[in-house]
Amino acid sequence: MTRITIPIGPQHPALKEPLSFLLTVEGERIVDSALRIGYVHRGIERICQNRNYVQNVHVVERICGICSHIHTTTYCQGVEALLGLQVPLRALYLRTLLGELERIHSHMLWLGVLAENIGFTTIFMYAWRDRETVLDIMEEFSGGRVAHAVNVIGGVRIDVDEAQVDSILARLDELEQQIEILLGVIQHERTFQARTRGVGHLSVEQVRRYCVVGPTARASGVNVDMRRDAPYAAYDWLDFRVITAEEGDVWARTMVRVLETIESLHMCRQLLAELPEGPLAVRAPRRVPPGEVVSRGEAPRGELVYYIRSDGSDSPARVKIRTPTLTTLITLPDQLRGVNTADVPAVLAGVDLCIACADR
Amino acid sequence: MNDWLSASFALFIFPGFGFLFVCALAFQWIDRRVAARLQGRIGPPWFQPLADFIKLMAKEDILPTGAHEWACAALPMVSLATVLTAALYIPVGGQAASAFEGDLIVVLFLLSIPALACFLAGWLSVGVYSVVGGNRSLLQYFSYEVPFLMALSGPAILSGSWSISRIAAQQAGATWMVFVQPLGFLLAIVGLIGKLKRSPFDIPKAKSEIVAGPLTEFSGRKLALWHLTLHIQTVVGLFLLVDVFLGGCSIGLAVPGVLVFTVKAVLILLALSVASVLYARLRIDQLANLGWRVLAPLALAQMLTTMWIGVR
Repeated sequence: MTRITIPIGPQHPALKEPLSFLLTVEGERIVDSALRIGYVHRGIERICQNRNYVQNVHVVERICGICSHIHTTTYCQGVEALLGLQVPLRALYLRTLLGELERIHSHMLWLGVLAENIGFTTIFMYAWRDRETVLDIMEEFSGGRVAHAVNVIGGVRIDVDEAQVDSILARLDELEQQIEILLGVIQHERTFQARTRGVGHLSVEQVRRYCVVGPTARASGVNVDMRRDAPYAAYDWLDFRVITAEEGDVWARTMVRVLETIESLHMCRQLLAELPEGPLAVRAPRRVPPGEVVSRGEAPRGELVYYIRSDGSDSPARVKIRTPTLTTLITLPDQLRGVNTADVPAVLAGVDLCIACADR
Repeated sequence: MNDWLSASFALFIFPGFGFLFVCALAFQWIDRRVAARLQGRIGPPWFQPLADFIKLMAKEDILPTGAHEWACAALPMVSLATVLTAALYIPVGGQAASAFEGDLIVVLFLLSIPALACFLAGWLSVGVYSVVGGNRSLLQYFSYEVPFLMALSGPAILSGSWSISRIAAQQAGATWMVFVQPLGFLLAIVGLIGKLKRSPFDIPKAKSEIVAGPLTEFSGRKLALWHLTLHIQTVVGLFLLVDVFLGGCSIGLAVPGVLVFTVKAVLILLALSVASVLYARLRIDQLANLGWRVLAPLALAQMLTTMWIGVR
């Protein structure tokens, strides 16, 4: 059978960010694929070395347009550890709250992208419409829909009052109803399952070999979650379930993410109910004592790792960022081998790529 | 002179090209608006389809190097011509521009030409997405066409005529075919969705997979003609179903036949709009499975039953 080469990207309707695939196709079946990344490399790690610690909070916030808050949280945590700062409890709770809101927003965005990629425009429209609720909450809280600028080294910058807490709680209830509706549609719509079941399969061995993290790993039955395994911020005081599935395909990833969204809603309620009183931040010195630290957080896409080395000056000697998307990117050639070309968008959407994060 | 005038009127104004063009734009707007409302959106204003058409007609017309220019210019025109020709034999509000015994077969044949033209357009415009899309449109054609043909043959067998005008006229005052053959009507609608490449069977032009399929490399006037072909094909397909299954313009009330006829067509259109927002797009192998394992046997059973009843 003759082989043809189909380019997917750097610009393609299935991709929201630039990434390039060269698919070698026999008929409609993919036999080989070549991946190319780096189209949105901005040299953020180098930029961090030229700015001081305080400025870097704003630099790392701009790594990602979806999960900006977890980047600043993980970065600030690292610097706070180097400084030996004790962050006030209220600040930890507010950080966690925003982190969970961000997870809801990221997962709903992802659901929309997946639905659009498999030609289910209605779920795309509904998911993105309901996602606005979270964006509104975040905007009222911080003033920004995606870049919040809430974290500072030593705590947070913005507080919530009683009225805001009530209004957020009311809207979370509405949102939960909407998500339940979406969940019902996904579980009962046969065409949705026909397009996602058995597509983009990753086994437990593959997940372990490629160090895949986050919902993609959990959908393959690997029970990892930084929030439980290495609790940071306020996760130690929270009661939550880690959602896993066994199938390891796009369908399992969908279920894991949608159920995680509902779990995040419960966590937001807990955080708001138990919000402790107290100061928002402690003062942090400008210069950081020499040393190195690894800070980890659970981004919506999985474990995010920051390595920060200080030489005693007011700017870091090295900042190394390992984003969760990098681990899923390298599984893609494996996932794509043997699938139908029509399933490429589903596979690409299924692992929830954040190219801007991966390229930095 | 008078004959010539009325023939021109029938050809160019009503029920000919002018009426079809207006219906194509109006139906497109209704479809987009309804789908938008169902998806929690607002939808375009009424003049959007016309604005889109004018804009595309005015845009620069480019083709990639290596594309077969002559064929790429001819194919959209040929497709448009075939659907317009097909429309001549479909009575709108009781009157067709032309009719003869066996025109149902001719119309079905003419309506299938755009699918083949799409396939050729995909191959001759050399883009890689076009080639894949062209292949898919041909594969899709093989999946929906057979059930569609068999579904439409039921009413013809029952009426004892292969003329659309006669099938429609026979239902006036009698039971509509949709009540005699509900399964056939359903199959015909599914077949029509496949023919029109509408969601969830928009496989040949799946945006997130192959950009715009066979039409990826087309632009300007040629693309406008392709779109117009599709929208007139929609109208013609709906009119065909109304004539064959919903008794044409007959309702027994003192309202103009054309109005009744158009309302029936819009009702089927609404069903298509609802279907387009309810499902995820199928894969081409899933469509082939559906076509040959579900639709074709059902259509065959329906046809054989009809023949048995017809013979008795």
